[in-house]
Amino acid sequence: MTDNISPANFTQDYNSAWGNARAEINFNEKGKSMKISRFKRSFVLTLGVSLLGATALTGSAFAGDNAIGPIVAPEVNEAKALLGKRLFFDKRLSGDAAISCSSCHQPEHGYSDGLALSKAYPGSKGFRNTPTLINTALAANWFHDGRIGTNLNDVTRENITEDYIMNMDMRMMQERIKQDPVYVKMFADAGYGEPSNGSIRKAIPEYLNTLISQNAPFDSGTMTDAAKRGQALFEGKAGCVSCHSGPLLTDEKAHNIGVAENPEIWSDPMRHMTYAAFASFMGIENYMNIRRDVGAQIIRNPADRSDVGSFNTPTLRELKQTGPYMHNGTFDTLFEVVAFYNAGGGDDANKDKEVKPLGLTFAEQKDIVAFLEALSGDPLTGPEHVWQDPIPTNYLAIENWREQSN
Amino acid sequence: MKPMKNTFLLLAGVAAIATSAVMVNAQDVPPLAALGEPPIPHDNPQSDAKVELGKILFWDPRLGGDASTACVTCHEPDQGWGFGDSLSRGYPGTVHWRNSQSVINSAYLGQLFWAGSAASLEKQAPSAAKGAVAGNGENDVMETRLAFIPEYRKRFNEVFGTEYPLISDAWNAIAAFERTLIVNDTPVDKYLAGDTSALSDEQVAGMELFNGKAGCIQCHNGAQATDEKYYNLGVPPAERWEDDGLAQVTFRYEIFAKGVTQEMYRKLKDDPGLYFRSKEKDHMGKFRTPPLRYTAYTAPYMHNGSFWDLEEVVQFYNAGGGENDFTDGTMASTKTDKIKPLGLNDEEVGQLVAFLEAFSGDELRVEPPVLPPYEALTSE
Repeated sequence: MTDNISPANFTQDYNSAWGNARAEINFNEKGKSMKISRFKRSFVLTLGVSLLGATALTGSAFAGDNAIGPIVAPEVNEAKALLGKRLFFDKRLSGDAAISCSSCHQPEHGYSDGLALSKAYPGSKGFRNTPTLINTALAANWFHDGRIGTNLNDVTRENITEDYIMNMDMRMMQERIKQDPVYVKMFADAGYGEPSNGSIRKAIPEYLNTLISQNAPFDSGTMTDAAKRGQALFEGKAGCVSCHSGPLLTDEKAHNIGVAENPEIWSDPMRHMTYAAFASFMGIENYMNIRRDVGAQIIRNPADRSDVGSFNTPTLRELKQTGPYMHNGTFDTLFEVVAFYNAGGGDDANKDKEVKPLGLTFAEQKDIVAFLEALSGDPLTGPEHVWQDPIPTNYLAIENWREQSN
Repeated sequence: MKPMKNTFLLLAGVAAIATSAVMVNAQDVPPLAALGEPPIPHDNPQSDAKVELGKILFWDPRLGGDASTACVTCHEPDQGWGFGDSLSRGYPGTVHWRNSQSVINSAYLGQLFWAGSAASLEKQAPSAAKGAVAGNGENDVMETRLAFIPEYRKRFNEVFGTEYPLISDAWNAIAAFERTLIVNDTPVDKYLAGDTSALSDEQVAGMELFNGKAGCIQCHNGAQATDEKYYNLGVPPAERWEDDGLAQVTFRYEIFAKGVTQEMYRKLKDDPGLYFRSKEKDHMGKFRTPPLRYTAYTAPYMHNGSFWDLEEVVQFYNAGGGENDFTDGTMASTKTDKIKPLGLNDEEVGQLVAFLEAFSGDELRVEPPVLPPYEALTSE
């Protein structure tokens, strides 16, 4: 057998040219008077390159009727979740069987990866920070740009099939799964019958229903005094709650707070290339010349480009496990994040006008950090969340193959 | 001599393909002939710069999903520009389900792939680069990768005049390169051109058997030694489907992905070939007659690589072909009546093999190109 081309690593060997990235382009000449449009739940149907979508609504968030509070864990079907757990850790769910969901959503990093920018499928390199999956079962939309606002079945499909994420042909995935007798039994036990790509996309979300915050001091009533002071600031003087509301501490809307570009996206040709391929697929105009992540602009694509640079408000739960922070991982610590807000966010013509300097003292900023840390619970790294047995990477032959129905 | 006709088939959904298995007398078919220059399509003319670009791209694994699998990965120059295993290796995590065919002289073919699903080299390349068990690439990713390789920007601009490379032009360039992979000066070509010293007596005897008693010429005719029609010879199913889990996965994937009925999905245990394109039961188990040039270098043989050397192939024909699910009524009974026991003795088998070797010429090797690196894209 000949196997003289080593997989995957070829493309890592490029000539890195730091400092060549183009300066950021300012898309919005009109500047500050632009209104920040918000969208609530956007339902995005992707069919080929067509995007459909998005209900826009303006006005203030629902801070009043959606106060921060405890999480209610969803009900879980044990057999389906167990199946989903094995699938989540199975590398055979990617095109070249090199990575699993857990390659980037690592239990020891709160189901993110500890990197500023994610790794992506071999041959590509990620251009955004891997979001946590803890509590994602309770979210209303997904991805930093919020491009999927339906359900986790669609999110699972998007991650498995997207070229730069897992690059899997789902028909191939189905046939791989059918070849594994452990799965054949687990699918039957879960009530799904024969393995199919449809039930794979149901079982993984069922597993995600088990990834729910546990024992966060905020939920268990064991916050320190500093954290309590921080909560008061969070809901008061600092105004964080205007966007970070509800049990997940997010309004599930996109905002522009002026986070600076991560220059590595534009200086690393593989990251830039991956973003450009994504941008071309998403129909972003002039995609070879832009030098910024347009974020939620892809949802509504307003002609005035006022959504450029908006990103979904992330959950604030489990932050202790999930740094670095922001959609492009440009902040390493929570204190940096709080200081960024205290300074009124960054510079962006589309910046949300509600983001302004807060006038917090050093001690107040530390208190907010203490509150944020109190929103983090136990790591979900035990056997109830992490598949323990080895998962084969090859396939047993079906015996008496000719006599068996396919 | 009748000119060979290139049939350009457009596949749209379920297209019907004409493959009438009319009995043809050996006298009625085009004789073997010297191979001239390959046809060049009007919409993709050759140029040195295009051929050189195509050559680099042929070796470049970035034209594939995880940047590991280039054209050359399954079409290796030192394996006859095919792959040296019964089933081609496939994309990482998979195995292919058919034998990799030689690229040599593919320029003359009107139908590419074993079931003829691509009507030009320009269509064959993307199909291979994108298929889940081949390159598994996507157009947007592959096209964008090219844009981040300055040497490609320069070369594509010179050849095609574009600011950034277009993926369709990559296929055009690869096709242009493949049209230079020609072996048309074999001893058989020289003999047919009048040089009677080009073949040994044994080889000449083999050619006479080919044209006469063995009846090979019925289908392996014309300059390319193929009528580009479809037949079921009763080639046995691939052994790997019986005992190799990875191959079983791919087998089911192919019948699922190519779209057959639920009943057919459950029952098929062999490659139905042309049926996938036409969905006509009469086409089950039929594959396009392969050209015989260069075969000395392209083992193993047949659509699933069942036979490991040319003598095995000739003995298969000598026995009147074989049996499979599409000959014995399990799924169909489509075995061609052109094939029957030949009654060749060992000497005659040896003569046919010697002739086929004389049809192969010298091995064609090229210097592998240097692959240009990615670089950051500065503002233009």
